[in-house]
Amino acid sequence: MFTNVREWQKFTVLSLGWLCVIFGAVWIACWVVGIFIPMCLSNLNFDFSRILIEICKAITPIVAVMVFIPINAMFMVLLERRALALFTMRNGPNRVGLDGCLQTAADAVKLLLKEDIIPTGADAIMFTLAPIIFFAPSIFGAIPLLAAVTNNHELFQITNLPTGIFYVLAATSVPVVGIIMGGWASNNKYSLMGGLRSVAQSVSYEIPLVLSIITICLLAGTLDVVTIADQQSGGILNWNILGGGALTGLNAAIGSLLSSASRPFAEIISAYYPQGLLSVLGVIVLCLSTIILFGIYLIGACAEINRIPFDLPEAESELVSGYNTEYSGIKFAIFFLAEFTNLFIVCTIATVMFLGGGDCPLPYWLNPLSYPAIAEPLTKLLAPVFSVLINNLHFINPATFWAAIWVIIKTYGLVFFAILVRGTLPRFRIDQLMAFGWKRLIPITLIIFVLVSFARGVINFHV
Amino acid sequence: MFDKNPNELAEKIRTKIVGHGESTGAFGSVWNGFKQALYGLSQIRLGLNTVAMHSLRKPTTQGYPEITPEMPPHFRGRLALTVNPETGENLCISCRQCERVCPDKCIEITAHKSPETNKLELIDFKIDHGLCMFCGLCTEVCPTYCIINTNDFEMADYSRSSLVYDLKKLTLSKEESAYYFEKKEMPLPKPKPAKAAAPAAGATAAKPEAAAAASSPKPAAGTAVAEKPDTSPTEEETAKPPDDKPTSSP
Repeated sequence: MFTNVREWQKFTVLSLGWLCVIFGAVWIACWVVGIFIPMCLSNLNFDFSRILIEICKAITPIVAVMVFIPINAMFMVLLERRALALFTMRNGPNRVGLDGCLQTAADAVKLLLKEDIIPTGADAIMFTLAPIIFFAPSIFGAIPLLAAVTNNHELFQITNLPTGIFYVLAATSVPVVGIIMGGWASNNKYSLMGGLRSVAQSVSYEIPLVLSIITICLLAGTLDVVTIADQQSGGILNWNILGGGALTGLNAAIGSLLSSASRPFAEIISAYYPQGLLSVLGVIVLCLSTIILFGIYLIGACAEINRIPFDLPEAESELVSGYNTEYSGIKFAIFFLAEFTNLFIVCTIATVMFLGGGDCPLPYWLNPLSYPAIAEPLTKLLAPVFSVLINNLHFINPATFWAAIWVIIKTYGLVFFAILVRGTLPRFRIDQLMAFGWKRLIPITLIIFVLVSFARGVINFHV
Repeated sequence: MFDKNPNELAEKIRTKIVGHGESTGAFGSVWNGFKQALYGLSQIRLGLNTVAMHSLRKPTTQGYPEITPEMPPHFRGRLALTVNPETGENLCISCRQCERVCPDKCIEITAHKSPETNKLELIDFKIDHGLCMFCGLCTEVCPTYCIINTNDFEMADYSRSSLVYDLKKLTLSKEESAYYFEKKEMPLPKPKPAKAAAPAAGATAAKPEAAAAASSPKPAAGTAVAEKPDTSPTEEETAKPPDDKPTSSP
């Protein structure tokens, strides 16, 4: 049955290698800018050293994002091509570098060296602005998520907003302007068609997307992404995908049962679920609702970033390549970069909002590291090895490190799922797309919103 | 799932699984919609599952430049002339049937009647592979299984003139001929030279066995070899692989 071990092995090695390169680069860049240079400056102690330190620390999030985005887009293109090759029983790119691991780097070099053409009759200013407007939101929209995915690391705390998720959603809805600008400025009817379709689609699917996120915010009681991520810590039962905190009481009760803590089982249960059977009903409703919301979020996100099966703006078989038909060289590269970055960002939002951010999926009473009997000897064992890195150079912050690892696993898992969907489903027809968005998704999300707001009343959250 | 006019088969499958309009009223239509949504989701899950399972199968890609695929016996590749796998003599009897049947007129045979043996004698055989459309008619009419389609298809070249193959380039070696005779299941040529040469030319018949090993295809006489040294290739020349052309013989 499993006759493809070799290809999977290659795929795994390639992914792990690239991930090490990406996050190693980001890690080192952040450390150099945020910690190492300030450390050196504070030792030098000249006139401007204090203000330089502040500047260095302030630009760290930007450095992180700017280093991350291009390398990550290269990796994701390669990941997508290799994974699609796996699903369609092909080999995928295997020429450049070891097993094709440098294919997208070569592609990037090719795209950057290509001639940049502005077609006759095109609106040159709009044509040039379009990729910028398309790409910029994926940079400034991603920044508030940095604090949430690094377990509120002190360097990234300045990027956190009290209304973080609101800002992120606002930023992710800007690229549609870039798409229609590019389509209109190209002086090409297919491009214009692609741009118009994109607007229709994005406007339709933003509503269920935002409604599903709003419902989660309603459950969490906050718009702050760091708080939302923190509330979900403690295992899969606390995550928003399973009731948005409705199962927290159960989680705590089981935990107390296992560790024989001071608070008894029944007391915790009655503290979290005061209404008896009504609360049980509320828990069931909330669990079902949030699972459906997660599905709706994924559908809406797919449509929002124009991925298959919602790739009507691009639709190779109908519109050549949609809004980016006329683009070449570096502008096309930016469109490409932004598309994959947007995919990554929506997957990160899903991770933070639904999948617990940087939280280990094991409930804390199953996780061996949460028991001091196991954790303390392990810490003692590892302390001499990493003490220089952790305490002297501040190169590794353990809390951030593990959170980042879990976020990486979850986010790329979702990316892989998006690729699987791309390999499976055919494209929607435009009228089906509209009917599905307006007649199905929006009513469902509204119903769930109402249900959740009632069900929320019969359960105590986050006591 | 949301088609207004779905095709019949899909409609049939759907009615089989989710039923068709048995519930009426507001609640009934909602219930129907719910069932249809569940059905659609199960279909999507089925599709995702199928695709995911396919990732466990080996790629069907053939690594062509590294691994040359094994062609079926009747693959119509580059044309070539076989030799007798045992004796190494050219099997062409210059009957010109292939030249006549060729729809593209890409075969050009030069032959003359030998004054000594009173038989047609092949001087040159040219095939323009740039014109050839690989219909294989010539191989069907050939009475001696001389002209065949080989399994070789890597014939890219730098000029049109280099696609015109002459006798030397066309003639296969003994080993290659043996390979194709076996692969295409063609009857091996009868050991004709020994019998045919003896009554036809009594004077030169003394050394048919000796000549067979190292002489030109048709003219079994030593004089003929001396007269036309460049037009009738000797055994050593034909044994060489056709000029830097990769062949798929073992």
